[in-house]
Amino acid sequence: MNKLIEVWSVNAEVQWVIFIILCILVCSSVAWNVWNFLKPGGLVNELLVRTRSWWIMCACFVATTLAHPVVTVIGLAFLSFALLREMYPLLNLDQRERNVALLCYAVIPVQYALAYHGMTTLFLAFIPVFMFVAIPFMLVIRGETKGIVRSISLMPYSLVAWVYGMSHLAMLFNLPELPGFTAGPQGLLLYFIFLVGINDVLQFAWGKIIGQRAVLPNVSPNKTWEGLVGGVLSVTLIAVALRFLTPLETWEAAFTGFCVALAGFMGDAIASGIKRDLGIKNSGNAIPGHGGYLDRLDGFATAAAPFFHLIYFFGVTAAG
Amino acid sequence: MPARTIDAEFFNARVPNGRRWLLWFLYKVLWRTVFGLVIGLRYVRAEAPHPDGPVIYIANHNSHLDAMSLMTIVPSHRIHLTHSVAAQDFFGRSRFRSWSMKHLVNAVLISRGKEERDEVDPIVLLDAMLRQGHSLILFPEGTRGVPGVMADFKRGVGHLASRHPDIPVIPVYLDGLYRTLPKGRTLIVPFGGTLVMGDPLLFPAETSIDAITEKARLAIESMAEDLLDENKIPSSDSP
Repeated sequence: MNKLIEVWSVNAEVQWVIFIILCILVCSSVAWNVWNFLKPGGLVNELLVRTRSWWIMCACFVATTLAHPVVTVIGLAFLSFALLREMYPLLNLDQRERNVALLCYAVIPVQYALAYHGMTTLFLAFIPVFMFVAIPFMLVIRGETKGIVRSISLMPYSLVAWVYGMSHLAMLFNLPELPGFTAGPQGLLLYFIFLVGINDVLQFAWGKIIGQRAVLPNVSPNKTWEGLVGGVLSVTLIAVALRFLTPLETWEAAFTGFCVALAGFMGDAIASGIKRDLGIKNSGNAIPGHGGYLDRLDGFATAAAPFFHLIYFFGVTAAG
Repeated sequence: MPARTIDAEFFNARVPNGRRWLLWFLYKVLWRTVFGLVIGLRYVRAEAPHPDGPVIYIANHNSHLDAMSLMTIVPSHRIHLTHSVAAQDFFGRSRFRSWSMKHLVNAVLISRGKEERDEVDPIVLLDAMLRQGHSLILFPEGTRGVPGVMADFKRGVGHLASRHPDIPVIPVYLDGLYRTLPKGRTLIVPFGGTLVMGDPLLFPAETSIDAITEKARLAIESMAEDLLDENKIPSSDSP
């Protein structure tokens, strides 16, 4: 019988990373509560709310990752859907563009099914080749061209960024058997989630502690050079320390961590730019202290495809 | 005594337990999940405690989903006692519609036009329901109207609130559900939205009907403005 939740067969590497996540959460919760007890204030309040949300997010991520791959893939597909759904209302689509939005939603299960079944070529081509033509054409045949540049650019963009990118994580389940690699796709997924999550946290922390000069003062005033450099360097080190979850060598893990951290930052910055042009601060309130799904997952979705390709290159192609 | 006939017809049979559980499941479980996970409705201050006893909920109206979303914020123990007030001429058009409005939405159908009113003034009926301890969901605009534009309020809420100074009026602002299910469409395309629950309003006994109607309208309008301001980038931030 197929077990839907295979908690009992979790391998040692995955158990370790879950233990580390738990330690971090417990330590930070205790620390903020003590701080709040000694000296309540605005910052510590924000930290408490954020940490509470991290608890819930980590629980969801870990539970979904440990479950049967089908559950994991459905969870990832839901995240893609949530991202699109948060974006589209902001575009002020007109009534007839709803049908195109529906088509975009319908792309999600197809893309994730292709990933799950390992149909690599079609998976790689479906959105950037076929949907890239189909969606602008659907917008054009409405016969209404007013404001069409905005929807023609952002609808395929959002598909590539948040569905195509994110679906690469589902592709991790189709990596070939690698010699000496025991953590499996679940380990890789947790490795990635851990890196991107800790990247956000560390960039935030470094920025708060020693942040002086803004990287992009006109886009996102809270991002500082100190936060960026500190975050990227620490994530690079953490990537090396956790490489037991991956098939990577030391320097390969370092490079992967570096790229994931940088891509996370870039995704964050791009989403900030879009939100700023649309004149909003947060895209929603689904995650208390963080904002909407888009505010939390922008880096996650952007770093997913680079991560997959690095793992594939180092783990499969370069290893021969 | 027209009011008495209606009372008898509507309330003498208690809401059967089966329908009570059905409504609880439909709104507190099923629709709540659909609104939260699929449609992506943001609930703002919807967890605030509701006053005990009968309540008049009022909201702006742009979509059929409005009544569904309001039912999801009603406390579980009062869900079978809460009735959306809907138009007889639209929802009573077929037997299927009026059956599902009664059993699945727990709605009460009233006639909108003066000429088609038979013997009972809808206000008398709604007044009787409030006296019996039932809550009402009213859309004072009277119709779904133009998306995103709030029409003038009908005076029904004023009539009811002035007769029941002890029953609080809870204004609710709904934004964006007209994108998910616009007027004249049948297909739901998830597009998010926001539901803001306001503070309960109580009107002293001598408040005039027009004053109540106007205050209720202003309450919803100010909630709409607050929601816009809340998520704007502060101007000091911008380049």
